[in-house]
Amino acid sequence: MSDAPPKEKLVMEHLVSLTYEEELTPILERYVDALIDGRIVGHKCPQCGRVYVPGKGYCPLCVVPTGEKDEVEVADTGTVTGFTIITPVAYYGQKETEPFVYASVLLDGANSNLGGQDIVGIPHDQVRSGLRVKAVWKPKEKRSAEGVSNRGWGGVGSAIDAFEPSGEPDMERAKFEEHVF
Amino acid sequence: MAGTSDIAIVGFAQTKSVRAAADGEVQLLVPTVAEALERANLDRREVGFTCAGSCDYLTGGPFAFVQNLEAAGAWPPISESHVEMDGAWALYEAWVRLQHGDIDTALVFGSGKSSPSKPHEVWAQQLDPYFLAPLGVDPVTLAGLQARMLLDAGKATELDFAEVAARSRRAAQDNPNAQVSGDFDVDALLKEPYVRAPLRRHDLPPISDGAVAVVLARGDKARQLAERPAWIRGIDHRIEVHQPGMRDLTTSSSTTLAARKAGYDGGPIDVAELSATFSPQEVILREALGLPAGTNVNPSGGALAANPVMATGLIRIVEVAQRIADGDVNRGLAHATGGQVLQHNMVCVMEGE
Repeated sequence: MSDAPPKEKLVMEHLVSLTYEEELTPILERYVDALIDGRIVGHKCPQCGRVYVPGKGYCPLCVVPTGEKDEVEVADTGTVTGFTIITPVAYYGQKETEPFVYASVLLDGANSNLGGQDIVGIPHDQVRSGLRVKAVWKPKEKRSAEGVSNRGWGGVGSAIDAFEPSGEPDMERAKFEEHVF
Repeated sequence: MAGTSDIAIVGFAQTKSVRAAADGEVQLLVPTVAEALERANLDRREVGFTCAGSCDYLTGGPFAFVQNLEAAGAWPPISESHVEMDGAWALYEAWVRLQHGDIDTALVFGSGKSSPSKPHEVWAQQLDPYFLAPLGVDPVTLAGLQARMLLDAGKATELDFAEVAARSRRAAQDNPNAQVSGDFDVDALLKEPYVRAPLRRHDLPPISDGAVAVVLARGDKARQLAERPAWIRGIDHRIEVHQPGMRDLTTSSSTTLAARKAGYDGGPIDVAELSATFSPQEVILREALGLPAGTNVNPSGGALAANPVMATGLIRIVEVAQRIADGDVNRGLAHATGGQVLQHNMVCVMEGE
């Protein structure tokens, strides 16, 4: 046992800010141009036929290149494959205060999910897998490239605010089960 | 580390380094990996183990290294690993994996896009967070301190630095993958202003985006896949203390030790590709390795001609392997470095059969 005086706890704040700046890849530029124009485009793999939204420049399963020649348009309607209701917690930069839906939407014609989509126009306790939805577009003059970056694979947030029920009957689980995480 | 010496490089490919690639990192890797596999006559589904080297901080993309794996094709599931280090260390891990003897091929790649970030911001985070990172000590400053110590010790002159830069960029004219090349007059270079005394712009590496891929194979498999495999006779890496102020920056004891363990103890060698990202570092590395004067150093132009961080070291290995595969040389040495001012060093000795 030591008689040494208790040591003061020293805390040093070390705030780090890193700046990244780059241009959108050519594929994402085309993707954003289409979004602003009210269209959602992706790439269709010439080998397996799967459609990725946005296009990646290759098919990750076949590992073959894809390009402008493989560009296809997909619908702005789709199916909620999975979702969660997020209750916001406070953290530096948090903008949300009310619970919101965080859903994966499989657009008609696409094989890849759109993640992180809000579903509006329906009580949260009625949101379900299989729900048929359609995009709620921003007015054309409000659409932009904002938030689309080469980090991750795009998103539709710069042109589409959320998805809302389309009124169609639910999609049978067997038809979208493969896309549920 | 001592290990079997029957592991060889049988395929490779690299991108041309550029200041800012239009494509994303994975998009750079997809054709590069495909080309390396094609050169090795190997289908990606036959690869026994995959290892990649990259650093998410360069592009600022969390888990970017996970996306990079799509270039290797990760379905059906593959056995793979990643190092937050230069691809040379991914090659080292693959080499270790191959020692187990149950698989006989491996795919390795390294990539990096430094263009979106500011090196002085990102690299400062590599230093200890108490004393150095808050000062914003950037790599050019550290290299400048190292250069100053070299000058004060009488081990080199600013002319020596300029000659390294001029020779490198002249050689780079023959390298289609180099970013900075040309015929520069040393006297004209010395008239340029300092960027961080005693370093001038020509003493610094370019900022580069690039990718490189390598295929390794063992024993008879290597002989089957390549006409002239580049056999890895020895590979070793050693690291020094993290705090630059606690090391002698004018020497590189870890390079000397790594070389010795890899089987090179000075003396004639056909070619040496060194990851000297600042011209004074070539002076230090030559001495640390014991390279005889007149050794063919960095015929590719080295890191002063192209510096795609996280790929630079693996490219040095490829540049030697390529010359062995082409039959231009029989024995060569490649050096890779990590950390700041030569903290961590790897030496890879390769030979034709």
